[in-house]
Amino acid sequence: MRNAHPGLPELDYVKPGSLEEASKFLAAHAGESRPFLGGTDCIVRIRDGAWKPKYLVDVKGLEGTTGISFDPAKGLTIGAAVPMNKVAAHPDVQKHYPLLVEACNWVASYQLRSRATIVGNVCNASPAGDTIGAAICLDGVLNVFGPDGYRKEPLTTFFFGPGKTALKPGDIATSIFFPLPPKESAGKYLKLGRNRLGDLAIVGVTAFAYKDASVASGYRFRIALASVGPTPIRPTAAEEILAKSIDESAVEAAAQAAMDSCTPIDDTRGTARYRKLMIRNLTRQAVSAVLAQLKK
Amino acid sequence: MVVARKEKTAGPVGQSVLRNDVLEKATGAAVYTDDIQFGPGLLFARVKRSPVPHGILKKVDVSKALALPGVKCVVTGKDYPDLMGLYLKDRATFAVDRVRFIGEPVAAVAAVTEEIAEAALDLIELEIEELPAVFDPELGAQKGAPLLHPDLENYVHPNFIFPEPGTNISNHFKIRRGDVEAAWPKCAAIVETKVRVPHIQHVPIETHVAVALADDKGKVTLWSSTQSPFAQRAMLAKTFHVPESDMRVIATYVGGGFGCKAGVTMEAIPIALALKVKGHPVKFRLTREEEFYTNFVRQGLILNLKVGCDKDGNLLAMENTMYWDGGAYTEYGVNVTRAGGYSSTGPFDIPNVKTDSICVYTNHPSGGPYRGFGMSELHTGLLQVMDMLAEKIGMDKVEFLKKNVIQGGDTVATGMTMHETGIKECVDKVAAAIDWGKKEAPTAPNKLRGKGIAVMWKAPAMPPNAGSSAIVKMNSDGTLDVSIGGQEIGQGTFTAMAQIAAQTLGMPYDAVRVSGPIDTKYSPYEWQTVASRLTWSMGNAVRLAAQDARQKILNLVAEAWKEDPKDLDIQDGVVISYKSEESIPVKDFVVYGLPKENDQGWIGGPIVGTGSFMPTYVTGLDPETGQGPRAVVHYTTGAQAVDIEIDKETGRLEVLRAAAAFDVGKAINPDLVAGQIEGGFVQGMSSAMFEGAMLENGVWRNPSFVDYRIATTMDVPPKIDAMFVETAQDDGPYGARGVGEHPMVPTIAALANAIKDATGVRITNPPFSAEKIYLALVDAGIVK
Repeated sequence: MRNAHPGLPELDYVKPGSLEEASKFLAAHAGESRPFLGGTDCIVRIRDGAWKPKYLVDVKGLEGTTGISFDPAKGLTIGAAVPMNKVAAHPDVQKHYPLLVEACNWVASYQLRSRATIVGNVCNASPAGDTIGAAICLDGVLNVFGPDGYRKEPLTTFFFGPGKTALKPGDIATSIFFPLPPKESAGKYLKLGRNRLGDLAIVGVTAFAYKDASVASGYRFRIALASVGPTPIRPTAAEEILAKSIDESAVEAAAQAAMDSCTPIDDTRGTARYRKLMIRNLTRQAVSAVLAQLKK
Repeated sequence: MVVARKEKTAGPVGQSVLRNDVLEKATGAAVYTDDIQFGPGLLFARVKRSPVPHGILKKVDVSKALALPGVKCVVTGKDYPDLMGLYLKDRATFAVDRVRFIGEPVAAVAAVTEEIAEAALDLIELEIEELPAVFDPELGAQKGAPLLHPDLENYVHPNFIFPEPGTNISNHFKIRRGDVEAAWPKCAAIVETKVRVPHIQHVPIETHVAVALADDKGKVTLWSSTQSPFAQRAMLAKTFHVPESDMRVIATYVGGGFGCKAGVTMEAIPIALALKVKGHPVKFRLTREEEFYTNFVRQGLILNLKVGCDKDGNLLAMENTMYWDGGAYTEYGVNVTRAGGYSSTGPFDIPNVKTDSICVYTNHPSGGPYRGFGMSELHTGLLQVMDMLAEKIGMDKVEFLKKNVIQGGDTVATGMTMHETGIKECVDKVAAAIDWGKKEAPTAPNKLRGKGIAVMWKAPAMPPNAGSSAIVKMNSDGTLDVSIGGQEIGQGTFTAMAQIAAQTLGMPYDAVRVSGPIDTKYSPYEWQTVASRLTWSMGNAVRLAAQDARQKILNLVAEAWKEDPKDLDIQDGVVISYKSEESIPVKDFVVYGLPKENDQGWIGGPIVGTGSFMPTYVTGLDPETGQGPRAVVHYTTGAQAVDIEIDKETGRLEVLRAAAAFDVGKAINPDLVAGQIEGGFVQGMSSAMFEGAMLENGVWRNPSFVDYRIATTMDVPPKIDAMFVETAQDDGPYGARGVGEHPMVPTIAALANAIKDATGVRITNPPFSAEKIYLALVDAGIVK
């Protein structure tokens, strides 16, 4: 048996005074330091021995990490340190980004969401991350401060594998930006866990769509699949089918295409066989739910 | 003038009074073992564990660990080779020359911090020669399987445990009743099936924790989170060669037990260390992972069942061969398999029975007591077979159950005559509660709806002479202290005991203080808080102690008033005479006595009542036939029914309505009974839908709450009808029997039967995960 540590192993907690200081420290201690936000993944993985950092670098409270700001002309910026419960309770988020609220509310439990952050969820890059699908579908872009100053990291090119992202030592994601969603849009996140509360996703399907007269069906879809590959998956074949038609057989074909696009594994949560079938069924349900909202 | 004797006021028994531990638990004031402060001398223990499932332990080198600054001592199996066990002495504190499961303690370190103790473990060097292992009980029971305990013939055990030395069988319980072979040809329908029930864990919120302190004379005090302070005292005193009176166990509140804190699990380890560092308390607490690996598990079970009935549905014969995955040590588990054996027919009247209940050593975690003590596992198979039989002969399942359930006067399979029981009434109640027989429409087009029912029975499983005792002390402020040795583990026993004491004495419920924590030095003896036996057994002791105090009070007042005690009564804390209409509050004299007339001295003195109870009538059973006059003290029976839906898109099972009824004899506190019935259903449902050890070659793949899922409040059905019937127990306090374990016993079978009703597919083996149900529907062509 893995002799799990009874508590946390000894490590240094570093609280830098500025982004520059934090970035320098993280770059100088690459491989032995980690930026620290809500800690809901960090603490568990360190206690399990999966991560063995010498330094936890607390980046909460640094410039740009703390607030939520909504600009009706541009979009929404959520600071890296803002806990999910605050995001989900924010009136502008509820009004303009209901998909994000829905995704947040599927993460773990209320207690955990008082600490957990969307940026942390994204940067941990677990294929099961509940808010990642919404963040991808809403065209999220991370604001990153690194050794060379600020840059933007669109989520479309951000994920390389489980825990592997475009971030490099010394990088600190300070916030995530979401442009204004298209006017007539709707989204749905469906998560399948073993029980109803607090589980990791066996599979998760996020579907988002908006009206677009330039495509044959009149609807443009974005779909993201969780827990069925090393990274979140965008089943573009399914999205293309729905751009052509949204009748019942097209939805069924899109669901099948989503199923065919994923590459799940067998693990303690479920088998690859079940996961593929569930991607098909939940994609069908999520797409139908989105269409029902848009046709209202 | 003689006043008419008025009807006794209702009194607290039968009332849903407020729990007497609720305030301190709700506010966080209640003290648990890890809350106690021990000062700067406290040391922390960590344990070096076997990394392999089976092997010869050739060398344990602790020299480097001992040299680590902060380490105060290291102990190994060589220091404490004595074997211990509740029913079969087969387990040492640490592995001595052989390891038998992954996680088995090999050595322990005490250090000034938990971190240093943990770091020292890496410095302990083990040399183990790995041996072939046993992971399947049915294979392990065969001759030629790798032998785990070559010394089995030398292990000490009571005369009702039957090991088979030279094999891995540590207990083999048999029933041979009637003639099974002759009965099969008379059957109109026979169902034969194999059911597997996985290991599950108790997962109490509070993991095991114990603190041991040895003084310079070698007297030991143990603070522990335990259901069994007196059993721990007895077992640990023997193991460490300390007189029982010098082994003191202080048992604080318990943050969840469910059986796993009965007997001894890890408590010997801090004592082993404390004896080497006298004067230093040593604390040991299990991590959640250690809790999964090294705590008792509910043992896995393979049931091979064959049951037959005639064309009218009368059960004629049963053959039941059970292979219990007892794990590496079966010191406690052997009695689970015995209980599974003598109750192997379930609550049914079957004339021809052949049972083999076989406990098999495997290189898995050790099996032990878990709420239900073998009954959930047994009923999971048996009540599905009854469902299949009813289907096979085309009979309504409720009618089939009612036709065959055991009734007062029937002879049970062990030869004992069954007492009166209200199981038929329980079946009627649960069937009515879910509108049995009415086909309900699904709540949505993509759902399949169905209903299921199962019955159960369970007897307290214990040695024949498990005893209880109680002391009632009257106080001069109108209160009384009730001292008991049974533990409050959330079930509400302190409240029920206060109700019984108050009712018996004629005192108000609020006047009763139950003395805690349980302390073997000051509390009266109680065997263990297990087997759903406290309300009945300890309740009898409390009732007798209260009666003793009551009689002393009445005798004293009668002497003072020159009246006959028979004309006196105690009502609401006041002694009254029905003859003279005199009255006097109890508090005025129960400590200081009463003055004689004209200052001529005093009579009386502090009033203390004592009571003891022990069943004296349980007999042995014949080792070859399992026959004897009285196998058990009594059976609590009951029934459960569920109305469920299956989502055709995901396979997810949802319980829409659940109903349960048990014959509790007398509900001392109806709300607490309902709490047990609801909680038991949820625990049973959790074990049916989510829980199961994923063991691969002795390795847990899911030893944490990330992957060992249990039901949350979100998974609980919106409606659980908790009901009871009251057929009085002849030797129970106010007629009461236990109901702590019973509510989870029939749940897996009831849900399995409902899944079959909803989908047409029979899935026999829990857990009934969404995946398992969905893929079964795919394989059956119901969905694609």
